[in-house]
Amino acid sequence: MKARELMRRDITSVEPDTPVYAAIYIMEQAGLSTLPVLDEEGRLVGIITEHDLIHAALPEYFEMLQSISFLPNLNQLRDRLREMAPKPVGEFMVEPLFVREDDEDLHIADLLIKRRIKQIPVVDGEGHLVGVIRRIDILSRLVR
Amino acid sequence: MILTVTLNPTLDKFYWVDRLPLSLERSQDEILIRARRSSTAAGGKGINVSIFLSCMGVETVAMGFLAGHIGQIILRDLLEQGVTANFVWIEGESRTNVTIIERGKEYHPVKIHEEGPRVPFHAQEEFLKKYRRMLRRVEYVVLAGAIPPGMPVGIYRDLTAEAKRAGVKVVVHAGGMPLWEAIQAAPFFVKPDVREELVVGEMPVRTEEEIIMAGKKVLEMGVEACLISHHVTGDILFTPEGIWDLEARVPLTAFKNLVGADDALVGGVLYRLVQGDSLLEAVRFGMAAAVASAEVEPKLCLSRAVIENEMRRVEVIPKEGG
Repeated sequence: MKARELMRRDITSVEPDTPVYAAIYIMEQAGLSTLPVLDEEGRLVGIITEHDLIHAALPEYFEMLQSISFLPNLNQLRDRLREMAPKPVGEFMVEPLFVREDDEDLHIADLLIKRRIKQIPVVDGEGHLVGVIRRIDILSRLVR
Repeated sequence: MILTVTLNPTLDKFYWVDRLPLSLERSQDEILIRARRSSTAAGGKGINVSIFLSCMGVETVAMGFLAGHIGQIILRDLLEQGVTANFVWIEGESRTNVTIIERGKEYHPVKIHEEGPRVPFHAQEEFLKKYRRMLRRVEYVVLAGAIPPGMPVGIYRDLTAEAKRAGVKVVVHAGGMPLWEAIQAAPFFVKPDVREELVVGEMPVRTEEEIIMAGKKVLEMGVEACLISHHVTGDILFTPEGIWDLEARVPLTAFKNLVGADDALVGGVLYRLVQGDSLLEAVRFGMAAAVASAEVEPKLCLSRAVIENEMRRVEVIPKEGG
């Protein structure tokens, strides 16, 4: 099965200059943990995830500690998130992993499993975002 | 690809009942109306057009504003129908519109329409950005339905002008002042929604003479084609080439649900236009889609074969030119 048959045609997205607080609001309202970031032409230029935002908000030494249980409380995380809130998403987005409309399900499943990502954007031949595939989309297809 | 704009989407909730009480004004008794059946579906004029087009195999993207739990239900329904969704999320709750359909009076339903959430200015700006971006990828844009609280009455005029600058043809399916404002920007095709008030701008459209006067005036303002309802089963089409009466030879008693029928009409016209049909033939197909949709309990008839079969019941009578 090809990506275009598996994908959700939801192209909810943000732009590099969208403030972080707006991206968090969209994630919350739309029930998404990842948002594609598009340029003015609608081409995929990055992705921003809950994980990226939390990671950016944690102190640098967290890398070594591996768990936020070492923090005395969530005040540091809250303060840092409030600092980040008005900043543009472009500062925190990461290089996008994506698949094309004609890519096969095996390749997509492989990417989702190996890279431990919850969803992956789908682009057309010109790089425009046309949908997303979530792990649950593949699981539900396989179980049917 | 066809872009539809539904600024105030709705979750349409339908109840089919055997009988409505003659009056709701009894002072003592609680009034209980039992529904024989009920259903819900994503709605709003543009969304209905998108669902129709998607089921006909035309790629379509729906835009507008969604909010809250109802917004998520609308989104899910749209995605399940194969429509691409590109909405701006706002605070509050998307509206629910209730239609109660009484057995034997299907052509005369009782409706309760909510107002919908207020759209803040920053969300309007975000929508405009997304709209401009999508205009680069579409052939037609459909601006349809009610304007939500917080948005200017001239929004369809501005969106029409933007689309025309991008070389995109605009179809407007709305009523009242938002329609009249849009007409000032001369869209390609206009289907006035005259359900609430039988006027186009300030021109009454009660009689055939009034409709013809209004239709001609709309063309004078630069609109390329205009389709105005004459009665439930009849529309009048105006183009620079002529005026036509389109009449569906169907008894009103055949109708089961009129909600969405005029949106099927617009969807049908666009479906045939993108196939390369003439406007007149496209409108004839649209009328057949409207009739077929009114004859089924779901909002839209999505069977091409059934619609094509209905085309034999749609008569086209030239009135002037043609």
